[in-house]
Amino acid sequence: MNALVLDSLVVGRGAFRAGPFDLACAPGQVVALVGPNGGGKTTLLATLAGLIPPLAGRVERPGAVRPALLPAPGAIDVGFAAGHVVALGRAALSPWSPSLRRSDRAAAHRALHRLGIGDLAERPFDRLSSGQRQLVLLARLFVQEAPVCLLDEPTAMLDPAQAAKVEAAIAALARDGRIVVFATHALAAASLADLVVAVGDPISIGGPADVLTDERLSRLYGASLNVCPACGQSAAATTAA
Amino acid sequence: MTRNWPLPAVVATILLASLASLATGPIAAPLPHLLSALFGNGPRDAELALALRGPRVLTALLCGASLGGAGAAFQIMFRNPLVAPDLLGVSSGAGLGAAAALLAGAAPVLVETGAFAGGLGAAALAIGCARLARPEDPRLTLILCGVVTGALASAGLALTLVVADPYTQLPAITFWLLGSFARADLGEAGLSAAIASAGLAALLWLGFRLDALALGDDQAESLGLPARKLRLCAVAAATVATSAAVAVAGIVGWIGLLAPHGARLLVGPEATKLLPMSIGLGALLCLVVDRLSVAFGAAEIPVGLLAAAVGAPAFLLLFVTNSRRPT
Repeated sequence: MNALVLDSLVVGRGAFRAGPFDLACAPGQVVALVGPNGGGKTTLLATLAGLIPPLAGRVERPGAVRPALLPAPGAIDVGFAAGHVVALGRAALSPWSPSLRRSDRAAAHRALHRLGIGDLAERPFDRLSSGQRQLVLLARLFVQEAPVCLLDEPTAMLDPAQAAKVEAAIAALARDGRIVVFATHALAAASLADLVVAVGDPISIGGPADVLTDERLSRLYGASLNVCPACGQSAAATTAA
Repeated sequence: MTRNWPLPAVVATILLASLASLATGPIAAPLPHLLSALFGNGPRDAELALALRGPRVLTALLCGASLGGAGAAFQIMFRNPLVAPDLLGVSSGAGLGAAAALLAGAAPVLVETGAFAGGLGAAALAIGCARLARPEDPRLTLILCGVVTGALASAGLALTLVVADPYTQLPAITFWLLGSFARADLGEAGLSAAIASAGLAALLWLGFRLDALALGDDQAESLGLPARKLRLCAVAAATVATSAAVAVAGIVGWIGLLAPHGARLLVGPEATKLLPMSIGLGALLCLVVDRLSVAFGAAEIPVGLLAAAVGAPAFLLLFVTNSRRPT
């Protein structure tokens, strides 16, 4: 099986629970997780990544390589050169050597060039802007040979131009045949996904047109929301709660 | 930024400094004599110099290398430039072990064993406490548990100072704590060097995995690395190396803080380059401190004292230089 399958999956940490989730996605598909803060999006991602065990149900992951995880912006703050941060994506591929292989560094540089940030390779990661950091970490997802990529709010705190670059990179990850699952508050970005999972109360799973409706979003976020008519299929929030 | 690889230069400097250390002193041994003594039979003066100064140079090298390497590993892994090899209470534990052995009137080799065991014991206690806690942030918990075990060992050490005989045992304990490279004989220094080398070799093998651990446990796990096992492995290796050094040299501070900072300035923050450089710089620093300790008059200045007196201002200088460095 090459699919990522969630079978009555219930996730949680401590007293917190969310679920059950039922979902099957094929290679190349993009899944958006939407929902209020504290609704369980990050917990669901951590469970899919295998970092915390499911409370009930099960996850079927494709392949033997663990899902790659891009944490919420600001979680990684190291002084290594950006190229090294990307090359560490291949850490598991050299189990006995004290250093990364030359080919890993080359792959890191190729990935940075592919995202148009080849000039950042030697710059210290912690001196980059938040948009540049996100792109560098996305480049790492390209060198990681993981069939599933999990991204936690990849466009949070980015300006529209940087956010567009990040979204283009997410689309490129999917074109390469990976399953991409990302959590987001940007409903416009969610509306471009193949599947949308509303994480919260109530849980709904389906295409963007089914899940991102006025009525469902208003119930999900607990506030009256209108899908922006000017943006066509995409949804923007205007509150009147 | 210059990120070339000046390690050969440091290794060459260490070799030259070691030879200079062996050659100079009250009994002068010219270099040709010394080299022939090193490789078998040389003149008596050179053999005498070698027998007197060899263990001392070896102790200085192993102590500096261990503290430098362990300090670098801890600083990378805990993503904190202020942590030193005695993070987990190794120094205080070793001090307690040595003081207890001195209190019992044990032979020097037992004092060293006590110090080694004390260092390992303190770190093991810290790791054990951190495991009990099952925390959200395992790195911070380990540091806190290290502070706790260090404080406990310090209290125990203070107790031994109180109950020690003020005319015989107290001076012995005090001098042990101040550190010296002149204590161990060749066998003891050699054994410690072998133990420390094993620890350092493990750290060098861990290499880029330490960088991955710096990204955080979740990240390391999602990169396919067993984060907890690797960290335990790194902490154990660094602790073994540090304990071996402290056992023969006493408590020598600052080297483990200073060497990684100097190395970072030279080769950057990546473990595969930073670790060997820190090991080299640590060894070099200890050789220099050892030479300084006999340079002023007849009485020897304790190396622990000198390391702090030289290390603290040098650290401040490095820290300021490092933070002002343009990118």
